[in-house]
Amino acid sequence: MPATTLQGLAPSRAIARPDIPHAVRGRFRRIKTALTGLMLGLYFLTPWLRWERGEGLPGQAVLFDLPGRRLLVFGLEFWPQDLPIAVGMLVFGAMALFFATTLAGRVWCGFACPQTVWSDLFFAVDRLIVRLVGKGASERRLRTLAWVLLALATGVGFTAYFIDAPSLPGLLLTGQAPAIAYATVLVLTGTTWLLAAYARERVCLHMCPWPRFQAALLDRQSLVVTYQDGRGEPRGRRRTPLRPDLAQPAPAAPAAPALMGLVAQAVAFSAPAPSPSLRGDCIDCTRCVTVCPTGVDIRRGLQMGCIGCGLCIDACNEVMVKLDRPEGLIRFDVESAPRRSFLAPPRVDWLRPKALAFGLAALLALGFSGYGMATLAQVSVHVEPQRNPPFVQLSDGSVRNDYALRLAHRRAGLARVVLHAEGLEGALLRLGTQDLPAADVVRVAIGSDRTLDERLLVVLPARAAPSGRRDVTVVVSEADTGEELARIPTYFWGPER
Amino acid sequence: MAAPERDPLTGYSTTGHEWDGIKELTTPIPHWWVTVFLGSCLVALLYMWLFPSFATTTGVFKGTLGWTSEGQLAEEMAAGRAAQAEWRRQLADTPLDEVERQPDLRRFAIAGGRAAFNENCAPCHGVGAGGQIGQFPALVDDDWLWGGSLAAIQQTVRFGIRSGHEETRDSMMPAFGEMLSAGEIDSIADYVLTLSDPSAAASRARLPGAELYAANCSACHGAAGEGGRDFGAPRLDDAIWLYGGSKQAIRQQIATPRMGMMPAFAGKLDDDTLRMLALYVHSLGGGER
Repeated sequence: MPATTLQGLAPSRAIARPDIPHAVRGRFRRIKTALTGLMLGLYFLTPWLRWERGEGLPGQAVLFDLPGRRLLVFGLEFWPQDLPIAVGMLVFGAMALFFATTLAGRVWCGFACPQTVWSDLFFAVDRLIVRLVGKGASERRLRTLAWVLLALATGVGFTAYFIDAPSLPGLLLTGQAPAIAYATVLVLTGTTWLLAAYARERVCLHMCPWPRFQAALLDRQSLVVTYQDGRGEPRGRRRTPLRPDLAQPAPAAPAAPALMGLVAQAVAFSAPAPSPSLRGDCIDCTRCVTVCPTGVDIRRGLQMGCIGCGLCIDACNEVMVKLDRPEGLIRFDVESAPRRSFLAPPRVDWLRPKALAFGLAALLALGFSGYGMATLAQVSVHVEPQRNPPFVQLSDGSVRNDYALRLAHRRAGLARVVLHAEGLEGALLRLGTQDLPAADVVRVAIGSDRTLDERLLVVLPARAAPSGRRDVTVVVSEADTGEELARIPTYFWGPER
Repeated sequence: MAAPERDPLTGYSTTGHEWDGIKELTTPIPHWWVTVFLGSCLVALLYMWLFPSFATTTGVFKGTLGWTSEGQLAEEMAAGRAAQAEWRRQLADTPLDEVERQPDLRRFAIAGGRAAFNENCAPCHGVGAGGQIGQFPALVDDDWLWGGSLAAIQQTVRFGIRSGHEETRDSMMPAFGEMLSAGEIDSIADYVLTLSDPSAAASRARLPGAELYAANCSACHGAAGEGGRDFGAPRLDDAIWLYGGSKQAIRQQIATPRMGMMPAFAGKLDDDTLRMLALYVHSLGGGER
């Protein structure tokens, strides 16, 4: 795979970028490994969790039940009309992302983005294969095989969110799974192979919109991966003597940020001196470039290709330890904070209006969704007057109105409900399928499909029938406890008198 | 005109045209494009050969596949029927009142009945089966001229009323305008109006129309106006008046009666559909056991 760099950001010195970034050990590598393991584990194992919901209901803890048009998440059941909750969660996700970016740069990109997680997995697999069999034709074949298998696993893992996970592999293998399941596996396998195995960092560099607007979110107080050019420059070979101000344990003279900016520009646009007589802490070993998953040279400053994963920090620290120099030549740092010395930790101003605003917006959105989840209507009832004809004249002079009654519920143990028309004295109710004589309340059992679709007939004696329209409330209650489940305002129509 | 020559930079030859030293390259169309274009032409020819594609002097070329849009519709309808086959078989094998007790089969029958009703019955009885006063009876109420049980409804749908079918329901109300005087018709109308008024139960026997009603009307409409379903004679003691409940309307109905006609649907609709229709009409709120 040829090296990819952003146009105009070619390294000042030709650095041979490996086709697989080199491995590195360190703090951020450990965090990244732990997070990658956690995310992949969550992705692959979540569908296998079980959750008993009762008879006739799926036993999978997290299931997108498309035929049933519902999303099951442990004890919660979402219906399409609960979409505002999902909107709230999306707004929360966006605001939390802005909040994190404002505080600590592209930590999402570096640690949690699926593209990063899967690319990291594929890089690790590639490195392992090269270590086991060395370079060559068999290595290439083995890598392709591993890519396809991992992509296939990702595709099947995704499909398991939609079809009962334990029975899915059997269904897929015996050809009994629905066609859409095969299509999903195929598409997800394809996209995983394309994005994570083939394109990898090119997605971050050329496809993803996020780097394009990170500039709007980052400011001079954000923590970003920073090469301390004041400490590192000028670069030189290891044999070259160290700058005396760095060699001394005494703190370096504080440099004004503006001055540091000028230095950075000077470094970036002038070729480094071929053989300086003194050097800074950077020995130009290019480890920071060869471990970078996107292949940027962080020493050129914050740039669009940097996903903020901190692997260059680990790589540089390894070298600094070998050189017996303090760590942190590359570190998470803020641009504007005054520094007492290159070694002092950065001072982060956490309480900034922008960060607080994003944090508050995220909390509000989360609260909105949480409130929605806590107050989900467990029973949904629709009572629709049938207006053709608006009323039915019966033989004994009484007047009947018909309603389309639809009920759906997601409440455990709800087996029977009672319907009753409030505001209509003497009204007699029955359902179209019931043979029972009409009574002032109608009792109905709800089956295991947890829905009712019935014609509700309401009869009013001649003397009680209204002339024209009268407002009525249909009250639905639990049959045994009498608990009110829903009140639906509607109307009753009688002949004009 | 200069001769065509090979351009050293592009490797293509020029057209041979030259204007003031400017020469024109013949840049060929890319091979892949030409291939796709010619391939598309071949596919188009194949389509023309397979499907109806052009008119001839005597008609139209029908294509070698014999495809027609009518044929496709028929195939799709047949496929739809085939998909319903199991349900239709169950429906045909199950007595109607048994269907009412099987929720899934009932839902299938009523859905089919609703579609058939909207196509065949709604023009007169209305989409909601509310009927039309003075014209067509409502089917949602509890009043039935010829009976509201599943069997009675099915018979009405099958053979119609005064339809000319040999098994049709048939009856005729005489036109009393030629037999009775206007005054007598007036008294009968007064009497008929009291039949549905419970407060007049005791007093109505003293009305002058009582005797006339007993002599002329009670044979079909019943002594107390309870109607006679064997003859399709409507009840006169209820609140439902197909041709209007005013005295004027009743007088007119006695003198020059109107009698509705309903076509027979046996032969026009298949047996399954007739059964579905009966179940649907029965489910509208007035169905009787």
